[in-house]
Amino acid sequence: MNLRGLILATSILTLVVVPVALHAGEYNAVVEIGAPMPQFSDLPATDGTSLSYADLEEEVVILVFLANHCPWVKGMDPDLIELGEAIQSDNVRIIGVSVNHREDDRMPAMKKHGAEAGYNFTYIYDESQQLGRELGATRTPEYYVFDKDRELVYMGLLHNSPASKRQDGTINYTEGDPTQFYVADAVKALLAGQEITVAETRAHGCSVEYAQN
Amino acid sequence: MRTRRLAAALAAVAFIAVGCGSEPESAQTAGRAGIPEASKPSRWKATLEPVSFDSWQEELHSLQGQIVVVDMWATWCLPCIERFPHMVELANEFANQGVEFVSLCLDDRDDADAIELATEFLTEQKATFPNYLMDEVVTHAFEKLDLLGIPAVFIYGPDGVLRYRLTGDDPNNQYTDADVADAIEELLAAG
Repeated sequence: MNLRGLILATSILTLVVVPVALHAGEYNAVVEIGAPMPQFSDLPATDGTSLSYADLEEEVVILVFLANHCPWVKGMDPDLIELGEAIQSDNVRIIGVSVNHREDDRMPAMKKHGAEAGYNFTYIYDESQQLGRELGATRTPEYYVFDKDRELVYMGLLHNSPASKRQDGTINYTEGDPTQFYVADAVKALLAGQEITVAETRAHGCSVEYAQN
Repeated sequence: MRTRRLAAALAAVAFIAVGCGSEPESAQTAGRAGIPEASKPSRWKATLEPVSFDSWQEELHSLQGQIVVVDMWATWCLPCIERFPHMVELANEFANQGVEFVSLCLDDRDDADAIELATEFLTEQKATFPNYLMDEVVTHAFEKLDLLGIPAVFIYGPDGVLRYRLTGDDPNNQYTDADVADAIEELLAAG
């Protein structure tokens, strides 16, 4: 990077940091690691049930913000489902959350997409968008891992090679085969009572649109 | 297949355009700018100029002296597609006022279909301002630009300093179309 580039990049960074006065993570304007899981109640799921915070009994809970319409979600679906299979026998629960108001991200489309993609976890819709707001979830897919005390221990990417589904149906991994599995590693560390080495990464995907007052 | 994809993308745009009444306004603005609609080449086609992150900084530097509005978008980003017509409207509205609009596409540089779709979209939108394609691995581009998500609009003052960074990073304070025009007006008023 030349000097001009460095100066411009520095000015960008300065402006990024200043307006965000909230408690925030490195890549999150609202929460930082250690934040409590927001309370939620009776959010409808694609299987016809509803889910509340109080229903969660597992040792580890993974919230992943999803959007049916998003090529980055579609590209990463197989890896998310693989994660679901890998943790099946453990005391871990994955919950998919959709909060966008666009029609192709609402419940009817969620049911269709979940069935077609083979989602093997509870997939809920939060029309109030409150859960996403309180977690500062602005991209899909974006992962949040909570420990048994429901404190946030990891947020960001599933792994280090975000993938998107192209128009021709092929899946393209930005960094080739993934080599670092952040969510799986965080879960393993929690279950083994070990420290989590990577607690935050820059989630990549489609933007979540929140209703602005 | 390709036509169907473009049609789908453009249908969304057409819906927005009709809803906002942007077509007539654009045409009128072009007329005010002294370029009769009829004299424009009917087969004008947008081009995407690839830029590395470093050469992007140089492009920005070369635009100093004007207010520079950068729209960051991609064809995989539906909100970007939906909001783009507003940027074209603003570009026409602020024509000849010392405001330069440019777009920076963050599609996958190796996805030929996406790049073709992006070019067709820009052509359809009559995005006659400079259109760039970030020639980096897309996730690297986001890191280098320190972006969390798109759409995002960066607005630089005539001194080249980034004055407004309009993003959706904070769920409780995501930028609106009105914020873009307001920011430009404020910079113009500041001289």
